[in-house]
Order: sequence, then C-alpha cells, then structure tokens
Amino acid sequence: MSEQQPNPDPAEAPIEPLYTHPASPFLRTDSTAPKHVDMPVLPAVASTWVTYRTQIEFGLAMLAYLMILVGSVTVLQSNPNAPWRYVVAVLPVVPAALVLSIFVRALTHLDEMQKRIQMQAFGFSLGATALLTFGYGFLEGVGLPHLSWTFVLPLMAILWGVGTAIFTLRYR
Amino acid sequence: MKNRLRVLRAELDWSQAHLAERLGVSRQTVNAIETGKYDPSLPLAFTIARTFNRHIEEIFEFNEKVPAARGLAPTRAGL
Repeated sequence: MSEQQPNPDPAEAPIEPLYTHPASPFLRTDSTAPKHVDMPVLPAVASTWVTYRTQIEFGLAMLAYLMILVGSVTVLQSNPNAPWRYVVAVLPVVPAALVLSIFVRALTHLDEMQKRIQMQAFGFSLGATALLTFGYGFLEGVGLPHLSWTFVLPLMAILWGVGTAIFTLRYR
Repeated sequence: MKNRLRVLRAELDWSQAHLAERLGVSRQTVNAIETGKYDPSLPLAFTIARTFNRHIEEIFEFNEKVPAARGLAPTRAGL
C-alpha cells in the first residue's frame, strides 16, 4: 500500500479552490496581502501580583486610610485642645490621595471599550445621584429628617457600580 | 458594522483571550467587537488587520444602511 494511492472516500479528499484548476474560468480576486508586520506580543501573565496588582494596591491603600483614620480620631478624642489637632485631623487625606492616584492610573490602563463603559457609568452615577439628592432635598423641605452630606459619596459609588453593571451587560 | 473576526480567529484556532492578549485589550472587548455591539477605533481596527495580516476591508464591512454617504465624493476619474 503506497502513499500515492488516492483516498477512496471523496469526503476525505482535500478541497481545492475553484481558481486553482488550469482550465478554470474563475479568477482569483483576493487582494494582495499587506506586508507582514510583527506585532508585539504582550508577555504572559506572570503571577497573581501582576494580575491583581491594582486591586491589591487599592486594598492596601484603603487599609492604610482606615488605620490612619481610626488612629487620627482616637488621638483627637484624647487631645481635643492640642495645637497640632488640625494636622492630625487632616492626616487621613494622605492615604486617600494615594487611593485616588491608584484609581486614576487604573482608569488610564483600561482599553477603549472599558473606558466608554466607565464614562457612561460615571455619567449615570452623577445624574442619578443628583436626581436622588435633589428629590430627598425637596422631601426634607416638607419635614423628612435631615441626612448627613457624607451619604452622597457612598450613594454615588453604589450607583457607579450599578451603572458599570448595566453598561457592561449592554456590550455583552 | 459587520466583521469576519470570528471566522478569522477560528481559522487560526485562537481563543478570544489569546486574540485579546495580542491586541492589548480585554476579552470582553474582543467579544463585543465580534458580536457587532462595539465598533473598534481606527487604531484598534488597524491593529486587528495587521494581526491577521489582512486589509481592514477584508475584516470589517461597512453597513451601507447607515446614512453617512450622501452622494459619493467625486473621484479623480469623474472630474
């Protein structure tokens, strides 16, 4: 049994394009392929640290923020009249600024579709927060209890998460 | 905009994740482009074309129903 023997099963035979036959009336109309350019291939993911670097950094910065906040409040409660109380009170802003820089850097590393999703989610969050806070403000005017302004940022963050989920699903 | 990305990817037996890694985007973005829910930017479209060693027109097909072309621009031959 030689290798030259034709395959008896026509379904197994290789399919030839129509234009390859010498008597073919068909012309190959494929355009010429552009010059090959070697695209840089990103290195394979090396470790959990590389994959979750932003999340880990964000978590550590938030932890630092909480620790410094609790420490600052504790120190201020025991020294309410010290002259350096302003410095201690404003100290938690430093790790908060670190959180901000990590967040902004993470945003710049998103790809173009993720940036669009985030833009829509931020817009949704801003508008919906305005709607809810104004709505509740009108209700406060007619007698509902006053809520602290510190509720505004958590509300915005929750709505941002909701917006991200909505607009991510829209592109799925 | 219709495209042949899924076909070209299948020809090379690449996963969405592999193509995403080569393009430097997320797998979700590759999926959204394949399903036609997201049109890539011109630089990304060129990167896709170069990755598959094709012309852009061989991958992406402009939807003629979009009322963008109000009469074709005069060509050199028509002047």
